[in-house]
Amino acid sequence: MKKSKSLALFAVLLLGLCAPVLAQNTPADQALLRPDPANWPSYSGSYDSRRFSALKQVTAANAHQLQAKWVYHMAGMKDLETVPLVMNGVMYISQFNRLDAIDARSGNLIWKYQRNPVSTAWQRGTAFYNNRLYLVTSDSHLLALDARNGAVIWDVKSDGGNVLAGGAPLIAHGKVIVSGNRPNGFIQAYDAQSGKYLWTWSPIPKQGDPALASWGGAKPEGMPIWVSGSYDPEQNLIFYGTGQPEPQWVGKQRSGDDLYSDSIVALSPDTGQMKWYFQNTPHDTHDYDSLEMPVLLDATYKGQPRKLLLQANRNGYYYVLDRTTGKYLAATPFVSKIDWTTGIDANGKATVAPGHDPTVKGSVTCPSTAGATNWPSPTYDPQTGYFYLWIAEGCGINTVASSAPAAGTGYAESPNAPWQAYVIALDALTGKKIWSYQGVRSNHYGPGLVSSAGGIVFAPEQFGQVSLLDAKTGKPLWHFNTGDLITASPITYGVDGQQYFAIASNSNIFAFGLPDGAKP
Amino acid sequence: MKRGAIIAILLLAASGAALAQRQQANPDFGKPEAIAAGAQVYAQTCTACHGPGGGAGEIAPAIVSGEQADRRNDAQILATIRTGVPGTPMPAFTGKLSEDDILHVSAYLHALRGTAIDNPSPGNEAAGEAIFFGKGQCSNCHMINGKGGVTAPNLGNIAGDRKTASIMDALTKPEHHIYGDGGSHLLSLPPMDTWLPAHITTKQGKTYDGVLMNQDSYSVQIMGDDQQLHLFDRSQISKFVVDPKSKMPTDVDKRLSPDEFRDLMAFLTRQGRTAQTADAGDN
Repeated sequence: MKKSKSLALFAVLLLGLCAPVLAQNTPADQALLRPDPANWPSYSGSYDSRRFSALKQVTAANAHQLQAKWVYHMAGMKDLETVPLVMNGVMYISQFNRLDAIDARSGNLIWKYQRNPVSTAWQRGTAFYNNRLYLVTSDSHLLALDARNGAVIWDVKSDGGNVLAGGAPLIAHGKVIVSGNRPNGFIQAYDAQSGKYLWTWSPIPKQGDPALASWGGAKPEGMPIWVSGSYDPEQNLIFYGTGQPEPQWVGKQRSGDDLYSDSIVALSPDTGQMKWYFQNTPHDTHDYDSLEMPVLLDATYKGQPRKLLLQANRNGYYYVLDRTTGKYLAATPFVSKIDWTTGIDANGKATVAPGHDPTVKGSVTCPSTAGATNWPSPTYDPQTGYFYLWIAEGCGINTVASSAPAAGTGYAESPNAPWQAYVIALDALTGKKIWSYQGVRSNHYGPGLVSSAGGIVFAPEQFGQVSLLDAKTGKPLWHFNTGDLITASPITYGVDGQQYFAIASNSNIFAFGLPDGAKP
Repeated sequence: MKRGAIIAILLLAASGAALAQRQQANPDFGKPEAIAAGAQVYAQTCTACHGPGGGAGEIAPAIVSGEQADRRNDAQILATIRTGVPGTPMPAFTGKLSEDDILHVSAYLHALRGTAIDNPSPGNEAAGEAIFFGKGQCSNCHMINGKGGVTAPNLGNIAGDRKTASIMDALTKPEHHIYGDGGSHLLSLPPMDTWLPAHITTKQGKTYDGVLMNQDSYSVQIMGDDQQLHLFDRSQISKFVVDPKSKMPTDVDKRLSPDEFRDLMAFLTRQGRTAQTADAGDN
């Protein structure tokens, strides 16, 4: 009896989980659920945010032949952080108020949407769904544009006066998910078809939530959310990171963990209800936000099949969580010096080490506020089972002007522990470091990474170098100097059988591929 | 014909405006006595609101650093002192202070906001030049006016690039590094290893000693002790060592007498062009 009851319950649960997804499985959904490897349909390329492509024209053996195919100049722009999308041979590049559609083979402009004013504020991408592009504007409107010509289909102002940030929108279950920082961190959903406002979630605990007690009586503030998230269609959950609590550098008033700051949260895209949260950094005074991309992986973990969520956090630890419940499974340090915490307990709770609050004279903390890693995306390669990311070794000096809550602040490189950036490969399940590639001259996080089935990792560097690394060994196979700072994440895509890699470098988009006519 | 005349009038108007702007430049800029007088007036009149050294106070914003300050040029600041800011506690000082005092305060703020050239140190410039090229041994590595070595930064515009305090630190403080301001995102930091002594052995067994000019994951650039540039592909190199300590002495104030050091500072803080006023050019 007991058994059959639980079976019945299981069946109901299954139905409940699958029904809403199956009901809306349109071709538009399919393009995101099972993307054609030739396309790069979303910020992270796929819902699991692995940034891995099944394309394999470029391999470790022919990587040395790679060459620049074209450069597209984004006139008037600078410090591009945008990740282009590619659908059916067309590349879409967004900024606040602007979207350029170009031929992904040649870099030739097809159409350009520009709404006044021109903005050079950091913006990280657009979203594609049902032949529409979703664009965030600098005055916090969300637009749906016709992907054929950039015509505005609908234009809605963000609900409740919330200010939309530059993170790329995420399409999940027919909803456009956007986020922002002001007045405090929030995530919002709009209907992708009509633009109708649906819900807002905020990391500020609501009245009656016991998490309110984690602020020591202070009013919860801050926790900006400015990077896109991941989506698990099976569970119909989106996963986002939240930012640091405010006041950012002075924590005395907000004694306690300051929930839901510096956390990974799982929300329903339909209702905005929070299913679970996991806080990486309690009571943060170093801006260790949790905005690093959560990567989803189903694997046998310590003998048990698990739906995992992997995150290399700015605080220096590589986290493995069960994404059905948020249960903590492991945290492994991936940089050599971490001193903000005295350790992490069996539930994943870190104990904050005393003596590291920013001071007027300056206090040294490792990793630095620039982060052991940061928002540019990592990649997971299912062929090697490795998780690749840019890291920065070194420590920082944090200063505050005074003990006032709103005191000005600064952080700088510690002369005794200079910053140095590396691409590293971790065993995705154990967190063990497999190899490390030094980005000489690059001193902190810059770009993200992409891996592809030819056994390679495409690795741009902060100081403008672009390399192809052997996915197994980290050995550099090819390199190219773009001549300017890179602070975006790269993509790979295919047109007519040719594989391309693309990356923004300052005000330009570079595309690379094998010489025309090269044999795969 | 008609069009030509209009262009001529426009040109006249444009050059007239440029001329007027140049004439408006405060004659006290860069004059040590005027700057010192301005500092006194500032301390008595302005500190209460704007804080010491123009670094912001309880009532009024920073004049010397911060975004507000960066958006205002010398002429705008002078105009603000004269006419005040309506609707704020900032009064018009025309009538409250003498015209001389207003120009002195403006010269003082210009010095605070500018680089060394805007507030050159007192001393004997010619004697300082002799020390730079002689007893101080600075020119063994550094160049000024095309004379000197190339294994350290060319100092031809040092007073236009750096503040006086920064030049002083370089001469007196061990292992000084120039950092960015800090803040939310440091996009680039000056390379920490440039100009450090570097030693390279190639796979052919040739050795090169010099200072590091730049490097990346695939190449290295050094200026050799032979005063020649040497460029390497990392694949050609068998051994590459960068000394963590610069050859730059940081006790120059102890190697020289106080007068000699003062004269050297007087020389260095006059090398360069002011960065404050943009030149309209001839087109």
